[in-house]
Amino acid sequence: MAAVDARGLVKRFETTVALDEVDLLVEEGEVHGLLGPNGAGKTTLLRLLFGLIMPDAGTIALFGKRVEGPGPLPLDDVAGFVEDPTFYPYLSGRANLELLAELDGGAAAKRVGAVLDQVGLADRSGDRVSGYSTGMRQRLGIASALLRAPKLLLLDEPTSGLDPAGAREIRALVRELCAEGVGVLLSSHQIGEIEDVCDGFTVLRRGKMVWHGTAAELREQAPSSAYLLMTSDDQRALRVAATHAGAVAMPAPNGGLSLTIDDEGLDAYMLALGHADVAVRRLELVVSPLESMFFALTGERAGERGADADAADSVVATR
Amino acid sequence: MSAMAATGEVAVGGETRGVWRVYRTERRKLASQLATRVLALLCLLGPVAFAAILQAQSASPADTLFGVWAHSSGFAVSLVVLGFAAQWGFPVIAGVLAGDIFSSEDRYGTWKMVLTRSCSRIDVFAGKVLAAATFSLVMVVLAALSSLLAGVLLVGDQPLVGLGGTLLSTGKSLWLVLLSWLICALPMLAFTSLAVLFSIVTRNGIIGVLGPSLVALVMQLLALVGTGTWVHLLLVGAAFNSWNGLFAAHPFYGPFVVSMIVSVLWTAGCLTASWLILRRRDFAGTPVARRAGWAMPVRVVIVSVAVIAFLAVAASWGPPAVTPARLKADITPVFNNLTLLQQRELGRTVPPGYKLQILSNCNRRSGGNTGPGDDWVCTMNVLVPQQGGALPFQVTPVSYDVSVKSNGCYKADAPPSFVGQQMMRVPHGRSVVNPLFTIYGCFNTL
Repeated sequence: MAAVDARGLVKRFETTVALDEVDLLVEEGEVHGLLGPNGAGKTTLLRLLFGLIMPDAGTIALFGKRVEGPGPLPLDDVAGFVEDPTFYPYLSGRANLELLAELDGGAAAKRVGAVLDQVGLADRSGDRVSGYSTGMRQRLGIASALLRAPKLLLLDEPTSGLDPAGAREIRALVRELCAEGVGVLLSSHQIGEIEDVCDGFTVLRRGKMVWHGTAAELREQAPSSAYLLMTSDDQRALRVAATHAGAVAMPAPNGGLSLTIDDEGLDAYMLALGHADVAVRRLELVVSPLESMFFALTGERAGERGADADAADSVVATR
Repeated sequence: MSAMAATGEVAVGGETRGVWRVYRTERRKLASQLATRVLALLCLLGPVAFAAILQAQSASPADTLFGVWAHSSGFAVSLVVLGFAAQWGFPVIAGVLAGDIFSSEDRYGTWKMVLTRSCSRIDVFAGKVLAAATFSLVMVVLAALSSLLAGVLLVGDQPLVGLGGTLLSTGKSLWLVLLSWLICALPMLAFTSLAVLFSIVTRNGIIGVLGPSLVALVMQLLALVGTGTWVHLLLVGAAFNSWNGLFAAHPFYGPFVVSMIVSVLWTAGCLTASWLILRRRDFAGTPVARRAGWAMPVRVVIVSVAVIAFLAVAASWGPPAVTPARLKADITPVFNNLTLLQQRELGRTVPPGYKLQILSNCNRRSGGNTGPGDDWVCTMNVLVPQQGGALPFQVTPVSYDVSVKSNGCYKADAPPSFVGQQMMRVPHGRSVVNPLFTIYGCFNTL
């Protein structure tokens, strides 16, 4: 039975069509990535799954149970958050979790300490949430979801606002949950954030589903990677590239070369540079194959990825 | 982690259990809020402070029903507190407790957290309403017990002078005071429901908290205009005073029954509207009201003004509630009874059941014949039999300035030249309230 089986979802906000005939299929125990640039409809789709808003058309079934309208039945087996997780700022992290555990009933209250440990917030759990950083709130959001010991976690950009170490921890946590049989639907506008942990992807663009399949299928269809290459002799490196099929190199605006090439071609090109007495001083992956695929599907250029795009992005963006 | 174990627990979370889980959660949240604690303290200590201040001074809150008796009976203290609370206290309490209970979730952005737990939307709605109602009623109980205890301990449990001008025994006074507070429970629930409606519709805590007080103010203003009965009967704010008739010489229950029905209808109407709005609401980011800018508030103000204007006009529809005949029929026996009470206080013997011969007349200075107002004048011509005089009777006229409310309750004051000072000396040198100085009464307007 599919954890999520949504078909033909349509959602309009006044004159804006947020979702247009979108399907989503997530199998039990699968880690599924929901990808798309900002405004693609990811959060709207998650809100529909939670029953926070109602579709104008289409059906949603979670673990075979139809989600009918605004919550006549409680959400069983499903937990998570949309947008930034929010809490009562005047209460401590622990008190917030205790309140939410009270709402969940059952043994959730007994898990408060354990989930705080699991997300690394045990030491700060007595502090008021108003003093928490964005990253701490994200962790608390995940902790609140874990309280319900769900079979499916819906997480909206869970690594947003986290430092690289924090994001890595979240990904490790997702893998850990996956190993325990928990399915996870991860939304993100950066495929690089989640490509390592996902079994499958659904890509949205302007409210429409533009791709759906497994990670392997996505990789198969992915174009070449993009690199920033610094050499001892860029002109000669360009001439070498011109003799290699599949390699596209051009001068980058901020120095060095911008190189588009697949993995096999890269090996041969590096060896060729060596034979041509060109030293490779730096080779930096700017856009991975999946990212290239993502940009192709969403029509987004790498430079539009968001505020946290690193400086190297600008090299690619201006090509 | 045991996902399956938890799955089982969540699955058994049925509708009823969900309501109680939300109820417990909201109770905890309300109890942890500073505003709730301050309100509880005010309800608990406010009446005590009021009784203590009254004891420390000679003046009495004569404008409030039973106010002049606040130095004479502890039960009057409780009823004066009830009168104040009915005017402002209860709407404020309802607003503070229920006016932000839904909108706070909008303010903190926590709807999506609450609604993605093991509780359905109806659980969340019912649990929050129940918690607000519980705290509202607890505040009423606190104020009732505190005012009664403060009154009895600081002033005493002397019999209360009822609105019929007769003394009510201590037991009966206690029972009627408790019943009066109890009667306020239903309109309190109506105002709590109104606050819930404000909270859900506006998603704004300030409007939710202040809304019930504003509505109470508008209702008080509407009670002052118009001479008819129908609109005044529909004002739930007036239901807080529907206990007045219980203290009359011949208690009447019509306004009380109507007030209870009106309170139930207000409660049901507000809660039904609230649920219908909440049930269909999309929880998707910024509330619509905020995005709409000024358009929505302006529309609300225009509609509100139109409704108030209509009600002000409609307040004259229906049979007149306050008429000279009704006022005269009530104030005359009350004056008679209070005169006898005064004579007994002064140590004079009055035969049981004695009736003065009184020719009374009531009318308005403004010329109108009906309706509430403070320009009523009632003249009591007491006919005292003369033996051997030229006339069979000596006529002693006493004129009272009467302020009558739309619910039929009135306060009548006479100049000291007619009835003496507010306090009078009685045998053994005691100083007591002159019963004729200020007369309270209530008549049935139905």
